[in-house]
Amino acid sequence: MFAHQMAAAQPLLIGLLLLWSSYGKVAGRDSAEQARRTALPRLVGETSAVPAYRAVGAIEAVIALALLLPPAWTVEAVAAVALATGFTGYLIYAKIVVPEASCGCIGASARPVGRRAIGRALLLLATAVAATTAGNGWWSASSVAVAAVLVLEAALFVMLSAELDRYWLLPLRRLRVGIAHPLAGTATDGVPLAATQRRLLLSPAYRAVNGLLRSDIHDYWDDEDWRFVSYTARYDGRPATAVFAVPHHDTTPESVRVAVVDETSGQTLYRPTVLATAG
Amino acid sequence: MTTTMDRRSLLTRAALGATGLVAAGAMGSLAPETAFAAATQYPEPGQPDPNFAEGLIISRNQDLLQVQGSDGRLHRIQLTGVTSVWKLRPTTLDQVRVGDGLYARGVLMPDGVLAAESVWVNIVNLTVSINSIGRSALQLEHHGQKVVGYVQPGLTAAVYNGTPAVSDLSMLKVGRHAQVIGAWRPGTNEIDIATIYASN
Repeated sequence: MFAHQMAAAQPLLIGLLLLWSSYGKVAGRDSAEQARRTALPRLVGETSAVPAYRAVGAIEAVIALALLLPPAWTVEAVAAVALATGFTGYLIYAKIVVPEASCGCIGASARPVGRRAIGRALLLLATAVAATTAGNGWWSASSVAVAAVLVLEAALFVMLSAELDRYWLLPLRRLRVGIAHPLAGTATDGVPLAATQRRLLLSPAYRAVNGLLRSDIHDYWDDEDWRFVSYTARYDGRPATAVFAVPHHDTTPESVRVAVVDETSGQTLYRPTVLATAG
Repeated sequence: MTTTMDRRSLLTRAALGATGLVAAGAMGSLAPETAFAAATQYPEPGQPDPNFAEGLIISRNQDLLQVQGSDGRLHRIQLTGVTSVWKLRPTTLDQVRVGDGLYARGVLMPDGVLAAESVWVNIVNLTVSINSIGRSALQLEHHGQKVVGYVQPGLTAAVYNGTPAVSDLSMLKVGRHAQVIGAWRPGTNEIDIATIYASN
């Protein structure tokens, strides 16, 4: 009895799902763009992809309305089985042949076809197969237990829909991170090199020697209250090293010092005067 | 290592002005024009920059790299003691390995070898959304592609709202967009994060 009622109730779920799915394909503002992101251009050709995508949406809508509205004929469920089989086959094809293609299933998403999308198509197929055994319409199946199972099935569909993650999965993760942030212990007293580099780039010392620099950061090290950053440089055609000294505690741009040192002799070739006498 | 320490020691003293080895006329002005007097090389308009190469390292013989460019060109790149190497951080020449991808900038020699002044190994710059945050990695999404971004303790830095970088990653939020500079782990969808730029 319960099994019969469950089978009878399936068309309601399938119908609503197909209606939602068809809406994005037929009426979605960017459905043409979405169609081009799927595997359809590869399967049916560039020019036919958008009409094919919309045609699938129209077929979904027709089957959905047939399932939702009386009378209840088995042929409607059989059509849903055929559609779900087609979806499953298409998604497996897309995953193998055009792995970067998006699903194009429900709503706009650039996400490529994944296992969840195929799982959802298989679930749709299973519910459609169950619906073929129904003897009555979904409106005749009125019990709390049936409603509860339908809700569970709907929840399963939602969990398999990557397009809907932002409505339930991300808020759940946000909540978890809000309670105990997994990276809460990362703060240290150490100054990241990116912070030093930013101060260096904004300093008069960098402007003074910018045109001499030939490389990205060559080496860096800390010594007491300073961080030193060296670059390969050329000075008067001679190979040299430009070394910056960035103090840890003084954040003014003028506190950064620089010297250009001859690569072979170790002599200081150039040191901006203001900087050399500062501090 | 001793050489590195000696060199650092020399440079440390030079930068702080504590060295006696100062060439005559070393005290220059602070004006940028002084620096611009240095020779600068420019590529021909519309032509590939001769002083730049990118691609995958297919062989390494001592410090000479064979690199297969993404446009099919083959580059020979010479690393030297003055070449700066970035691989998640400024590092040493021995970290450059076959199978790594790189960008190189330097001077094209007459024999066709690019004498590299800077190489950036496996560097990547991605705009992503943060899908989830774990203790050792962030699950990221870049235009629909999943990317795992590993946090390297003591190295990974965050820039929030354009303020200076900090090591504190606890202000990263799930669902937010971010920009990530990092290094690919070759052949995977995984990166090590150097700096993540986010809002909070």
